[in-house]
This record gives sequence, C-alpha cells and structure tokens, in this order.
Amino acid sequence: MSSFKRKVPSKQVALPPGTRASSSSPSTILTSSGIPSLDDILGGGLPLSCSLVVLAPDNHSAYGELVQKYFVAQGIACGQTVCILHDDAVTFAAECMWMPNSSSNTRTPTPPADEEDEAARNEENIKIAWRYEQMKKFQTTVVPNNLSTDDFCNTFDLTSRIPLSVIDDARNDKRLLLLNLNEGCDVASSMMGVIRRIQHVLAATSSTEVVRLCIPSLGSLEWVGQSPKDILHFLHSLRRLLRQYPHACACVSLPPHLCTDSWGGMGWVQKVGWVTDAAISLEGFGADPSLVALFPSHHGLLQIHKLPTPHTILSASDKYSTLRGLSSSAGASVGSGENNLAFKCMRKRLIFETMHLDLEGGVTERRTAPSANAISLDAGIAHAHGVLRVVDEGPSRSLATVEVELEQTTTEIRGSLSESPGMSQSAAKNATTPSKLKKPKKKVAFHSDKPDLYDF
Amino acid sequence: MQSFPPPDLVSYVGLILVTDELQAPADFLIHRFLHLRLKDSKQSQCLFISVSEDMERIKAVASKSNLNLSQNGRFKFIDLNAHLEEQPDNSLQDSRLRRVFDVVTSELYNAQGGEGNFLVILDDIASLEWLGFSVLDLSRLCRALKAFCLKERATLVIRHHIISPSEPGILFQHLLQLCSYHVEVRPLSSGRSGAVSGELCLHTGPVESEPSQQLIARPTALQYRLTDGGAIFFNKGTSEGVL
Repeated sequence: MSSFKRKVPSKQVALPPGTRASSSSPSTILTSSGIPSLDDILGGGLPLSCSLVVLAPDNHSAYGELVQKYFVAQGIACGQTVCILHDDAVTFAAECMWMPNSSSNTRTPTPPADEEDEAARNEENIKIAWRYEQMKKFQTTVVPNNLSTDDFCNTFDLTSRIPLSVIDDARNDKRLLLLNLNEGCDVASSMMGVIRRIQHVLAATSSTEVVRLCIPSLGSLEWVGQSPKDILHFLHSLRRLLRQYPHACACVSLPPHLCTDSWGGMGWVQKVGWVTDAAISLEGFGADPSLVALFPSHHGLLQIHKLPTPHTILSASDKYSTLRGLSSSAGASVGSGENNLAFKCMRKRLIFETMHLDLEGGVTERRTAPSANAISLDAGIAHAHGVLRVVDEGPSRSLATVEVELEQTTTEIRGSLSESPGMSQSAAKNATTPSKLKKPKKKVAFHSDKPDLYDF
Repeated sequence: MQSFPPPDLVSYVGLILVTDELQAPADFLIHRFLHLRLKDSKQSQCLFISVSEDMERIKAVASKSNLNLSQNGRFKFIDLNAHLEEQPDNSLQDSRLRRVFDVVTSELYNAQGGEGNFLVILDDIASLEWLGFSVLDLSRLCRALKAFCLKERATLVIRHHIISPSEPGILFQHLLQLCSYHVEVRPLSSGRSGAVSGELCLHTGPVESEPSQQLIARPTALQYRLTDGGAIFFNKGTSEGVL
C-alpha cells in the first residue's frame, strides 16, 4: 500500500451569480463588464476587488459613459448589487441599455444580426480559391459566446432601453443603490465624504454578494474638490476600500476635460494608471477629421495603460487575450508584437476590435511613382500615398519650419513664428484651390502595333 | 538564462533605488528581492512598508515561489496608509511622516533581537508625493530611513515611479543622490512584445565610490519576460523568440 494519498480537490465554493474564476489564477474571481471584447482585453473580465478607470478624452462623445452603462446593465441583469454615484443617478440608470426584447427570456443561438453580418452573408456566395476555403474568416473581434447557458455576459442591444419595471424591482430589492452626490456631504471634504459613504454601503453588504460601484464622471462639475491631487487621492482610497471589501469592484470614468495632461499636469494619465488597478483610454476620433478619414471603419483607438493583476505578476490578459494577440505558450512563437486596438459604436453595440490598415494604406507600401510636389487637398479624403506639400508663396521671412506628419501624408508648412495665424489662413486658401500640379505618371504599356523585337 | 538581482545586491547594506514606468512596472523585482532574501539566509527578516501594494497580492505571489508568508515570522507588513489615516488630516505633514518613521524604527528595534539583518522595502514613494506630501518632507524621510538602516546594517529598497523619463522630477533627483545603487526598469522603446516585457539596468549612485557589483549599462541592458510568479532574465537577443 503506497503512502501517497490522492489529492482530493477541495470542495468547490459556489461562486456568486454572474462571476467565474479566472483561468490563470483560480483565486481571482472575474465579473463581466457587459462588453465581451472588453472582457477579453481585461483577461476574462474585471476581477473583484479591482478598480477600472475609463478615460475618454474626446470632448465630442461620451464613450466613457457608454462603458459605464454597459457595466450597470450587466450588473442588474446578473442580479448583482449595483451602486451608482452620480448627481442624477436615477436618470443615468434609466438610460442604460438592455437585452433585445425578443430574446430577454430565451437564449438565441445566433449572434445579433446587424449590418455587417448581412453583408458578410451576401459575400459568402463568392468563389474562394480552393486552398483558402478551409480557413476561418478573418476575425477582428471576439464573438460573444451565446451558446453558453451561464449568465456571465449578457448580450445588450443599444436600441433597447432598460424597462422601468426592472429598475424599480432592483431598487425595491436593494440591489440597485442610487447615491446622489449632493446629499449630506460637507463641502470641505466632499471627496472623502463620498469615500465614507461608499464604505458604509460596502460594510452593509454581505461578502457573498458581488457589489459593483459605478462612478460615471468622477471630478465633473458636480463634485467638489477637483484638483489632480484630490482625484488621485480618491482613486487611491477607492482602491484601498476595494481591498478591504474584496467582493466589490468599481468602474470609474473620467470626464473628457480631466483626461488630458493639460489639466492634470505632465504624466497625468500615468499617475491615474498607477493609483488604480486597470486603466484604459478610449480616444475617439471626434475632434480630428483626418483620423476619421484614415480609419473609416472605427470610431476611436483603445489604449491600454494598465491591466488588473490582483494575485499574479503577469496579467491574465497577456496569456489569454485573443484581441491583444500576445498569447503564446512558453517560447513557442514568441516575439510578436501586440495588436493595435480600436473600437466602434455600431447601431446595436459597442465593440473593440483589432485595427488593421487598409489594403492601400500603410507606410510599407512601395512607391513606384515619384511623389508629386503638390496634390489637391480634398476636404475629407486624403490620399494614402504621396507626399503632400503646401508651399507658401508669401514673404520669405520664414524663421521656423514646422513639419506636420499625419501617418501617410506629410505636410510641410513654412512660416515664421509670428506669422503663424496668417500661415494657417494661407494654408486653408491653398486647400480650397485645387491646384493640380501632378507630374505625369510613368506608364508601362504594351504596344501591339509595333513589331516585337523577337518577331520573326 | 541570467539571474538578477545578484545575491550580493540583495544583502547589500545601503539604499537601493528601484525605478520603473507604467509600461514596465517593477513589482516583480520587489517581490524577487523579498523572496531571495527570505530564502537565502535563515536570519534575515523583511519589513515591507506598503503604500499601494496589498498583503494579499504579496502572499499570492510568494506562494508561487513556495514561500508561505502568513506563517513566516520573519516577514512583517506595514500598511502606511493605515498609519497616515490614524492621524487627523489637518496635522502637519511633517509630523505625519515623522510618525511613520517612528513606527518603522520601532518595528526594527522590536524584532531585531541583535541577530537578524533586515531588508526594508518601501514600496512606492511616488504615490506619497502624488497624495500631497511635499518633496522636502519625503526626501527628509528617505534620508532618515537611509541613515537608520545604515546604522542598523539593513538593506533599504525604495521604489519610485518615473512619470516623465525626459524630465526627472525633484524627488527623483534627491533619491538619486542618496542611493548607492539604482536599478532602472524600462519598457522597450519599440513597444510591447510577447517575448520581452522590458529591460533593466543597474547603475551606481554617487555614494558608492567603488561598486562591488557588476554594473549593467543601458546599451547592454538585461531583458526580462514576466511569468506568473516572477520573471525570466536574459541578455538582449537571446530570448526564445530569437534563438
């Protein structure tokens, strides 16, 4: 009889609803953010006891709040306790999205149909070269696993609003806690007052239920105390609070004017990344029409500053994320870089996907024709190749040469420092006058009328 | 395969400054210092003063190196935030940091017993600066800690975050003048990669005139790849992806 005892796995502790254990470290419990592709980027979901900060520096859109609404909707759908801190939390909760009406009770096996899938189905009829027929279609994002019966991540539809009955039920069950900001906080220490309120809320919940804290716009005008130090102190204290109550997680979104270095000082985004567990930045293209032209199929770029690692050195996302593309078994085919990520907000959902340059684009494209001296600048569309130069015909008092580079196009604007306002006007003038000074393209043609050299 | 930090560095008496950036955090190195010191000699004791790291994570990472910190009497964890919060907010910053220093020194006195050599790790002095403490107070705290550790023959490791590599902050300059060794953890300039998570260099500080350690300059930086429980170190160009 051997003295070895079989290791009996310890009794599996039942996980709270809407959560699952992380594949890289079983002691980490993950919960979904409501967006499957974001869950993939985070390494399976947002770990409990972690805080996620979503920065959305684009002034013209509200992607940060959109992510928050997904977070809230997922929490309500799973039956978890959700706590929203907002100046008008009721309205915020009522604006959340919900599952499409037809499939709110049954699980549909097909992914939600939208304009992209229909176009793809039409294209399936085209003939594919035989050697590629077996290959999977090129996927840029993670397809939500709708066949699973667990309620980890629900499919939400941006066109449907959350029913008021669901909100009322949740409020009556004390699963939805709406904390308004201007209730009972003393002005002098408002940020710390909010921390104390959150602490009361967390202390009142039991450790078996998952609590989601949602702060849609931290530091906006309704908050008192908006210096960078206060924001960092708040995030630091929030993280400590989450460690004390590890059944909770938090998702915080900063308003656009707080996401830039000009407000917070040099290295502000990095500081935010250091005092939280996870930080991502949704840089929308709203302010920059050239970026819209360069990436027509996306609405913004996603930058990952920090990923949650509550119990390990290496984040689960590095090993398991398909979107980021870093996953590799030990030493097998390592050395690949990380994928660039972008997001787009379609009619029915928000998805994050890998970003690839178009067929025609890219700096590695080989140029066969010499670059033209001046090409007409169309307002919306910039040509992918060629060098763009706007030459100023004005007085030659130029002191500084400013070179502006827009990925594939290079604009050289010469002008003195004092003359810069005038420069922009003349640049605009040049843009509107279509001066076509294109050099004739080299043509290689086959002339059939002339006898070929080897025509015998 | 290389190994870092060298054992002499782990038991070096003096101040070792560890700097990192957000894209290449040095927490793996801090944990490594801790594990190596606890494993190497049975008399070493470790004091972990934490501003942003939490005990659960330290325990979880240590368990991957087969170290059980909850039952290890030679490991002590001090939560700096708890000590700072105990005092009223409007007290002088100087007195709050002074209190912190007193707590640290009393811990060392209580646990010493005349035998053990100590490793004191201060995780994250940059967070203290961002939370509002003045640079002057913080550099005084570092100087006091360093003097105390030198007197007690202890190793002091301070971690600092670099926010802007091109413009060193004042606190970083003060720390650099105090330190004997500076371990610099940097991300790759070409961005993230699956094979290499970052690189690290070892510089000597102005205090140490005859460095006994093999220095690692920036052009020959040691690269590392993070794993679940730590990191693997290798020279440039010798990672598995290349060979």
